[in-house]
Amino acid sequence: MKFVDEFRDAELGRALAGEILATVEPGRHYKVMEVCGGHTHSIYKYGVDDLLPENVELVHGPGCPVCVIPMGRVDDGIAIAHEPGVIFTCFGDMMRVPGSNGTLLDAKAQGADVRMVYSPLDALRIAKQNPGRQVVFFAIGFETTAPSTALTLKRAKADAVPNFSCMCNHVTIVPPLRALLESPDLRLDGFIGPGHVATVVGARPFEFIPAAYGKPLVIAGFEPLDLLQSIVMILRQLAAGRSDVENQYKRVVPWEGNLRALEVMSEVFELRPHFEWRGLGFISQSALRLSDAYSDFDAEQRYSTPGVRVADPKACQCGEVLKGVIKPWECKVFGTACTPEHAIGTCMVSPEGACAAYYNYGRFAREREVV
Amino acid sequence: MLRPAEPTTRCGPEGHCITCGDDGVAMRVTGMDAREDLAICVGDSGDANEVAVDLVGPVAAGDMVLVHAGVAIARLEEAAA
Repeated sequence: MKFVDEFRDAELGRALAGEILATVEPGRHYKVMEVCGGHTHSIYKYGVDDLLPENVELVHGPGCPVCVIPMGRVDDGIAIAHEPGVIFTCFGDMMRVPGSNGTLLDAKAQGADVRMVYSPLDALRIAKQNPGRQVVFFAIGFETTAPSTALTLKRAKADAVPNFSCMCNHVTIVPPLRALLESPDLRLDGFIGPGHVATVVGARPFEFIPAAYGKPLVIAGFEPLDLLQSIVMILRQLAAGRSDVENQYKRVVPWEGNLRALEVMSEVFELRPHFEWRGLGFISQSALRLSDAYSDFDAEQRYSTPGVRVADPKACQCGEVLKGVIKPWECKVFGTACTPEHAIGTCMVSPEGACAAYYNYGRFAREREVV
Repeated sequence: MLRPAEPTTRCGPEGHCITCGDDGVAMRVTGMDAREDLAICVGDSGDANEVAVDLVGPVAAGDMVLVHAGVAIARLEEAAA
C-alpha cells in the first residue's frame, strides 16, 4: 500500500537507529514525550522503543481521547442512553470506558439502545432512518475528530434532521500541553508532535513550546520510520542547542493546517470555559461545545444529565500515567486488577492508551543497553 | 502469564480503534456516490468505504486522501520519508 509500506522498511529503520545512537551524548538522559495515543500504539506495536538507547526515554502523553474522559461525563452519557426512545451512538472504545456504575456496554446489556458507529455521519444516517426515535451521538476526540462532528452537524442542520443531537466532549491539544509544561512533576527535553491533530490545526499552535519553554517539537507521522526520524530530528535540535517546531510529516501536514476544517469547526463549536480531564483536573478553554447557532442539536440542552463530578477509583493511577510521571507497569493494579477485559482506568481501555499498549505488546519491564 | 486481550468493540483492524486513536487511514478515491454526496474510497484492506470529502475539496478517481472517522481530513502528496 502506497504511503504505508515505504515507511516500514527495515534497512532504513536500522540506519535511523544508528543515527540516533550517533547523535546522543553519552551520559545525558533524554526524555521525549509522544503526545498522541496513536504514536504510543505505533511505538509498541513496531517495537520502536527497542531500537533506542537506554538514555532516550519515551514518555507517553495525554493524547488518547478515550483516556482523558472523566467518569462523570460517561455517567451523563449513560443517563441519556437510558432515556426512553433514544438510540445512543458512539465510537467503539467509548463503549468500554467505565463510569461510576458501569459502561455503555453494560447499559446496552440492561436494555439501552447503544450502537457503535465508525463516523458521526453514520449516526446521522441512523437518525434519518429512524424519524420516530431520538438519536444522540457521543462525540469525543481531539481536533482530528472534531471536524467530522462539525461536518455532520452542518449536514444535520442543512437537512433539518430534528431527531439528531450531539453530546460534545471534544477536547483541544494545546491547553493540556501547556499544563504539562507548567507541571513541576515532569522534566521533558522535547515532544513528538501529534501528526493528525496538526493535519487540521497546522504547526503554528505549537510554536509556543519552543518560544516560551525552549523545547523542540517535531510533528510526526505514525509509521515506524516516521517515529524514528522524528526522534533523530529532536536529538539533532538538542545537540545543536536549537528548539523549533519542525514538520517530519510533510506528506500529510501543511504548515497552516486544513483551513476548511478550521472554518467549519469555528462555525459549529465554541470553547468551553473549563473542562475536566481525567488525571489532569479542570483545564481552562480546553474543550469544545456547540455554538449558539447549533444549540438545537445540543444533547446536553435536550436532556437533563446528572452532571456530577466523580472521583477516579483510588487504586487507579491513570493521572500519573497520563502526565508521564510513572510508567504503566508501575501502577499498582496494572495487569492484575486492571486489564483490557476489565479495565479500572481509561488508559487500559483504548489500544491507544499507554497501559493497554504496554499490556498488549508485553512491555511489563525492560532493560536496555546503556550507551 | 499475561496475554494480549481479544478486541471486543473495535473500529479498526488489529484491535486498533481508528476513530478513538487519532488515527488516519490512507485511502484511494475510486468514485463518487452522488446521492449521498460521498466519495467511494478503498484502503489497505481493499474494502470500499463511503467518505465525506467536503473538507478537502473536489476529488477525482485516483486521488489519495487521509480518512478519519468517515471524513477526509487531508490530501496525500507524494514525498519521501
